[in-house]
Amino acid sequence: MHILKVEHLTVEVDHKTILKDFNIEMKSGEIHAIMGPNGTGKSTLSKVLMGYPSYHILEGTITYDDTIINDLSVEKRAQLGLFLGMQMPLEIEGVTNADFLRSALSSKEGETFSLMKFIKKLDTVVEKLEMDKDMIHRGINQGFSGGERKKNEILQMYMLEPNCVILDEIDSGLDVDSLRIVGQKAMEYFIEEQPIVLLITHYQRLLEYIKPTHVHVMVDGSIVKSGTVALVKEIEEFGYDKFKKNSAHVIEEIKNHE
Amino acid sequence: MNKILIENDIVVSAELSSKIKISFLEKSEDFAVNKLVVDILKDSKLEIIYHNESASKLDILIRVSSNVQAKITEIRTGNFMKIRYRYEIDTNSTLFLQKIHHIEGIRELDTIYLNGEHAKIKYLLKTISTKREKYDITVYHHAKYTESFVQSNGVNVEETLDFHVSSVVPPGMSGAYVDQKNRIVNLTDGKCNIHPNLFIDEYDVSANHSAWIGTFKEDELFYLQSRGIRKKMAIRLLVKGFLLSNLDLTNKRKEEIDNIMDQYWR
Repeated sequence: MHILKVEHLTVEVDHKTILKDFNIEMKSGEIHAIMGPNGTGKSTLSKVLMGYPSYHILEGTITYDDTIINDLSVEKRAQLGLFLGMQMPLEIEGVTNADFLRSALSSKEGETFSLMKFIKKLDTVVEKLEMDKDMIHRGINQGFSGGERKKNEILQMYMLEPNCVILDEIDSGLDVDSLRIVGQKAMEYFIEEQPIVLLITHYQRLLEYIKPTHVHVMVDGSIVKSGTVALVKEIEEFGYDKFKKNSAHVIEEIKNHE
Repeated sequence: MNKILIENDIVVSAELSSKIKISFLEKSEDFAVNKLVVDILKDSKLEIIYHNESASKLDILIRVSSNVQAKITEIRTGNFMKIRYRYEIDTNSTLFLQKIHHIEGIRELDTIYLNGEHAKIKYLLKTISTKREKYDITVYHHAKYTESFVQSNGVNVEETLDFHVSSVVPPGMSGAYVDQKNRIVNLTDGKCNIHPNLFIDEYDVSANHSAWIGTFKEDELFYLQSRGIRKKMAIRLLVKGFLLSNLDLTNKRKEEIDNIMDQYWR
């Protein structure tokens, strides 16, 4: 059982406070969906959990399995089992996917790393995700479509077998077929491995495939409401305005509606 | 594979087919430095392995005859060297040139002449620069419909690195295509310069150039590190990608370059 706990986290980016007294606790076997309007700090949260170097923690703690990881390097967090599936995976010219994954896996496994095992596993995952086999010899995300990039993130997740998965808008820029594959395969991984999953999304459509156990609404750098999947319906019906401060008129409308 | 082995400023061996002829002139009263002349007469691949233990000087002339597709891979290692290259490419011929350097200081002058119509050069220079390195690369488009692509990539790990790259299209040389891509990744406080020049005196020309000096992006390192890769190893991967992209090397040569990189990023 793994636990990721964020307590009173306040984070500054470029002299602007983005996360404000943010709190959440997640355990293995739970899927937490964080939803919220643009610019509310969702992606900042995902990056700060992974240790993005130019984001500064002003207050609060991030604890993983009883260890405070505030000052832990990015690679050490990954080696602990954290994984961030990025919203906009980078294209890196010249570094092949094969080299990248082999380096990542050999960093994780050390002397127990087996090249044969790696190749076999890679073939299986590429097939599972309906990806082109040649992609492995191309530069990281080089010439990849939006869908291929997101599938590549899921492929890396399968290869690295993390126990805490953060997926930052993994649904953005996907067509219906890619969304189905990405959503279904992420859910299959959850069923097989029972990791902690933190899912950041704007839209309900991804939740047709990945079923959250907890849903949180994030506004202006902190969670303003938590609940079950029923909260998604509320968001769909009334939008995020209901949850924003100073939106008395919206609350009035909802009361009238009720 | 045709191979010329040079140590210091002497050709110590040459394994060549009849498609390539060489002559080597040792310095005398007439020649201040040794001079090597290579004539590529038919489609060929050639490796030049150049290593020097002490500071050396050399002039090299490489001529590609008409209607020939030539590929030259040059691996250069060792001590400080001063070297002057002259490449002459004739009608309907293409030279694919890839140079990989790891030298303790260099002063190099490369002049490329595209002498016949449809002559082409693809010039790739990749260097791990440790001391002071300065390259002057000039391409002369001396015929119509000639094409040049020059890519100079350097990683500066110690002192200074300079690229001066010029492309010259005189009047009347219509239909020319000129492309320069110069990039230095500076991993130190050392000074690096790129001087990209396009001297074009003809309207019917397609020309591009780019020059970039900087370090690797924070986001690139974050992406690699977020998969558990140590920072030094992440830099090594990025350097490898930067230096080896576009090259066409045998596995043996790739391994040699890997070993060189191990000296800095392990």
